Amino acid sequence: MSVSIHLERRLNARLAMRIAVPVAAVAAGLVAGGVILALGGHDPIDAYNSMWEGSLGSSDGIQATLIKACPLVLTGLAVATALRVGLWNIGGEGQFIIGATAATGVGLYATSLPGPLVLPGMILAGCLAGATWATIAAIPRALIGLNEIIVTLFLNYIAILLMDHLIFGPWADPKAFGFAYSRALPDAAMLPVIPGSYVHIGIVIAVLVAVTCWWLMERTPWGFSVRVAGGNARTAEYLGLHISRRMVIVLALSGAIAGLAGAIELTGVTNRLQDGISVNYGYSGVLIAFLARGRLLGVVVSALLFATLVVGSYALQTTGVAQPIATIIQALIIVFLLAGDAALAFRVHITRAPRALEPVAAGVRS
Amino acid sequence: MTFWLNSVSVGIVLGTPLAYAALGELIAERAGVMNLGVEGMMLMGAVVGFIVTVRTQNAFLGMAGAVVAGAALASMHAVMTVGLRVNQIVMGLTLTILGAGLSAYLGAGYAGRRPGGEINAIPIPVLSQLPVVGSVLFNHDVFVYALPFIAIGIWLLIYRTRFGLWLRAAGEQPGAADASGVPVFLIRYLAVMVGGGFAGLAGAYFSVVYTRSWAEGMTGGRGWIAIALVIFGTWNPIVVLVGALIFGFVDGLNFQLQSVGVPVSSHLLAMMPYVFTLVVLTITWTRLRRRRVGMPEALGLPYEREAR
Repeated sequence: MSVSIHLERRLNARLAMRIAVPVAAVAAGLVAGGVILALGGHDPIDAYNSMWEGSLGSSDGIQATLIKACPLVLTGLAVATALRVGLWNIGGEGQFIIGATAATGVGLYATSLPGPLVLPGMILAGCLAGATWATIAAIPRALIGLNEIIVTLFLNYIAILLMDHLIFGPWADPKAFGFAYSRALPDAAMLPVIPGSYVHIGIVIAVLVAVTCWWLMERTPWGFSVRVAGGNARTAEYLGLHISRRMVIVLALSGAIAGLAGAIELTGVTNRLQDGISVNYGYSGVLIAFLARGRLLGVVVSALLFATLVVGSYALQTTGVAQPIATIIQALIIVFLLAGDAALAFRVHITRAPRALEPVAAGVRS
Repeated sequence: MTFWLNSVSVGIVLGTPLAYAALGELIAERAGVMNLGVEGMMLMGAVVGFIVTVRTQNAFLGMAGAVVAGAALASMHAVMTVGLRVNQIVMGLTLTILGAGLSAYLGAGYAGRRPGGEINAIPIPVLSQLPVVGSVLFNHDVFVYALPFIAIGIWLLIYRTRFGLWLRAAGEQPGAADASGVPVFLIRYLAVMVGGGFAGLAGAYFSVVYTRSWAEGMTGGRGWIAIALVIFGTWNPIVVLVGALIFGFVDGLNFQLQSVGVPVSSHLLAMMPYVFTLVVLTITWTRLRRRRVGMPEALGLPYEREAR
């Protein structure tokens, strides 16, 4: 007798399971986080209460969540869009930062722009800079097959250093006394807020971008050709599609979306270029896109959930829980979500069978 | 002249942790598992190595603790990606976040402290007395000296042993390997954990041997550079070692230039290693690809026996 465990791919899970499993995953993550909180000398129930109050449990919390969701929807979209052509854009972080940097440049130096054009000019600059940054990775990928993950990652560090150079050097605020931020932007450079709230209109823009991307990728022939190019290179070649051209265009689009996120965060929230303007938004986008299974509209939902988690963990910190603990809880919830995702994708079989009766292919064990 | 000699000497020290981390990642990737959590595992190694050193006053025990810590975090990656077949890229990023959080949590009380135990340079008799090269090459710590032997050892393991054949088979054609009796899953688990051990050691080299202090996020993105070095080195341990040393040299050049007061912003100088690697990678990539050496065929793909 031997025990054999094997995983069988589930073709389609029931809707109830598709909802129950992520909920259970978050719950499991919170329980594990509770143990860590308790070990750190905090009351988990109190801590989670403040997490709820600070995120979805109050009007202020909901507004904070929407503000936080804006960059996350966009960076998630950036990753999901690139995935359509089969590329992993891990450079959302750098494209975000370079977008914010370019927008700052326009805001500080294009003083001859008439007032109403300042904001559009900054946002356009952000998109273009993000697209350029992504194209630096796209071209060697398309032409010689150089791994895009590594190039986009390296460009993140270069973007951060470039921003640091500017905010510590030429753009530094003389009143900053060694803190890392640029001079403040003019008032004309601030995004308006949604009437009756303090949520800037970025979240509306983000949802519009999501719908546009969805339409472009799902409802146009070009979007379909991108999916063919990303899904099956051989088919695409037979059809005479230019895979490399699509790679460059889609990655540029992806970078433009991440750059837009940077420009919006700058004009909607920080009002100046500063160290830590991106709180890992680019990397979070990868997780958000993955948890949405790469679906463009699904990204909006998973970004909102992610934003809840992030804002909740800020609330946790205001009650005296150290930031690393909040980070650990966040990571644990993601780990459980990923495991839950696997549980949805596979059915686990544990069989006790004598070796001889097993199918031939299972005869080799590991 | 002293400037360049110093740069080489500093470069060797800076390249050493990169080489360890990259060699570990190489082993995991040869088995077909990409682990983007190197940065997180290095941070865990750095903090655990430092804590063990402080507690025991023995730096070598600290390094051993770091190996265990790195391997432990890596085992999570293995369970998730090899066992549950979670996407390797996404899990690797999560591992980095987890490692950053855990290490900051564990190390909270240790910032600004001294390790107590030390690992010092041991000048090699006679050789270290050689003019010019003596002090540059033969006045280092034991982890530097071990490096070429480890790289050659990994090369021999991969290309000259049955285990190495299995390792490559698991990374190239897991289906065929499984069919012919190679324990694909076991090998992938092992390779990922050994890789994690190397990353842990690399992290502790920073905290225990090099800076002799702990600070949150102290590896500063070098885990990512290690991953790039594996590609740069076409999955060949000898080339990876050379690449790590070159990278360390460029990184060291940055410090040297700052110390002699070059009138360029330190942030722009710090870009050098990244720009340099990208440029070299782009220039050499076509040639490397033509030689058909390199990337394991099944890298990044979970092995599903049932889908064979």
